[in-house]
Amino acid sequence: MISRYERVSNYVIVIALTLGVLFPVAWFFLTSLSPNTSGALDVSHLSWGNFAAAWRDGNLAHSMLASLVITVSAVTGQTLLAILSGYAFGVLGVVGERFLFPLILLGMMVSTEVIVIPLYYEFEKIGLTNSWLGLIIIQLGMGVPFGAYWMRATFRALPRTIIDSAEIDGAGEWSTLWRVLLPMARPAVLTLVLLSFMWTWNDFFLSLIFLGDPEKQTATVALGAFQGRHILQVNLMAAGSLIVSLPVVALYMIFQREFISGVMAGAVKE
Amino acid sequence: MTLQATHLTVPTGAVAPTRPRSRRARRRRWLGLLYLSPALLLYAAIVLAPLAQTMNFSLYKWDGVSEPSWVGLHNYLNFGRDPRMLEAFGHVLVLIVMFGLVPLCLGLICASLLSRAKIRGEGIYRWFLFLPQVLTSVVVAIIWKRIYAPDGPLNTFLRSIGLDGMTRNWLGDFDWALPSLGMIGVWGGFGFTMVLFLAGVLAIPDEHYEAARLDGASRWQEFRYITLPGLRGQMAIALTLTITGALRTFDMVYITTQGGPGTATTTPALLLYQLAFVNPDVGVASATGVVLAFLCLGIAVGITRVMESKD
Repeated sequence: MISRYERVSNYVIVIALTLGVLFPVAWFFLTSLSPNTSGALDVSHLSWGNFAAAWRDGNLAHSMLASLVITVSAVTGQTLLAILSGYAFGVLGVVGERFLFPLILLGMMVSTEVIVIPLYYEFEKIGLTNSWLGLIIIQLGMGVPFGAYWMRATFRALPRTIIDSAEIDGAGEWSTLWRVLLPMARPAVLTLVLLSFMWTWNDFFLSLIFLGDPEKQTATVALGAFQGRHILQVNLMAAGSLIVSLPVVALYMIFQREFISGVMAGAVKE
Repeated sequence: MTLQATHLTVPTGAVAPTRPRSRRARRRRWLGLLYLSPALLLYAAIVLAPLAQTMNFSLYKWDGVSEPSWVGLHNYLNFGRDPRMLEAFGHVLVLIVMFGLVPLCLGLICASLLSRAKIRGEGIYRWFLFLPQVLTSVVVAIIWKRIYAPDGPLNTFLRSIGLDGMTRNWLGDFDWALPSLGMIGVWGGFGFTMVLFLAGVLAIPDEHYEAARLDGASRWQEFRYITLPGLRGQMAIALTLTITGALRTFDMVYITTQGGPGTATTTPALLLYQLAFVNPDVGVASATGVVLAFLCLGIAVGITRVMESKD
């Protein structure tokens, strides 16, 4: 039993903290609707045209397309690789598993900074810098450790009897994976897809290094350049920022639970 | 870190694949290798090979164009004499405190205050508290750059309450730029620790609290002997994540200050970027990468050890 006083004070704390976290974002949102280039708030004249203007001036159509192509390709590929390697480690077993699995887990602790330098010089040699394909390949390779770890844990958590009975029914390994196990693993795959999407879409460091050409830039890098140029048009800068963050925020609105539990469980990724 | 991860998500009692030494099982393990091979090859090419090569690069002096020359451990030994590096690692120490320890303490305080009662509307406040985690880092940086701007909301607020003397160009001020950046981390990390710790508190059995209250435990005792030990795993995750995040700070600094004013907000990752791609001194950049990687690894392992042994 807790007192009424305590109950009220709890709500006050939670609401105050939530507002504290929310305030900068809310302020920014209102800034993006300001008719005034200085960003002064004016809630009686909401200027929705700012979004269209930012879209045009920031060359966002082009860079959003780049982000979309890179993210969708990388997420699709990462998920496929994760399913295959998770099935291998979790169900089939792998020759040399005792060595290979820790070797792959090592990748979860390897930060981007420590591999990016030779990657850049190698990719430059074979013409994969300033190329969407190059960045997609890097994202695929870097996604392997978390994907393999995640899907292995998922498949191992499924009851062994299901796999055995599929086998008895004469299903081959390939169809056991796709027809029997995958439908059961759907929630885990969804979480993996959402996390990969967020990590790839939000990437700045790799895109900055590998896509220097403004024609190839992703939305995050284009936004970085845009805010450098449009220092005097605060409202447009805010509108552009919101456009770039929208895809992930929209997914977050729909799949809050998956995002939070996934980030918590996947906290080990970095 | 992998240890933590394993008992986080792998439910105990899951049956490990049994491996009788039959021909069929052997065939399956080779098939497993086949299924794994695309991922393994990509991983080797994108992560393992460059990792080895970075270590190799770090033993050379190279400007990215002309012939590299072997210098042994010189790049590492020079760290202690390179004021830029020392300064950047010093900045990161400040960021570690602000990104890691401050959100940890705030999160703990809130979790303990709220541990006694279930709050309604959980989904809503969790959504907002967690929002900074999903926002693009570039956008977070732009939001705060605006807030700290000379004519931004922070200064406007200070003026409106008569503290004109306090107003300044926060990110352009030699003394205030770094703590201002640190505040961004407090803002972003705090919601994360709070959501994490509240979830952890809910997982602590109610009976523990009830028993403590029957025994007349004070709030502090309740916190010290029930909440704190119950949150050990969550604290390890939060610290590992925020501290390695602080160590690797790049996007935020690149967007807001580019390391300035002067060198007041440089970080190792920013120096690495500049040394690798802007004014190439690739050997030193690689050595920085290796040092960062080992620090991250050491911190992750260290925190896990401390948290697991403390009992």
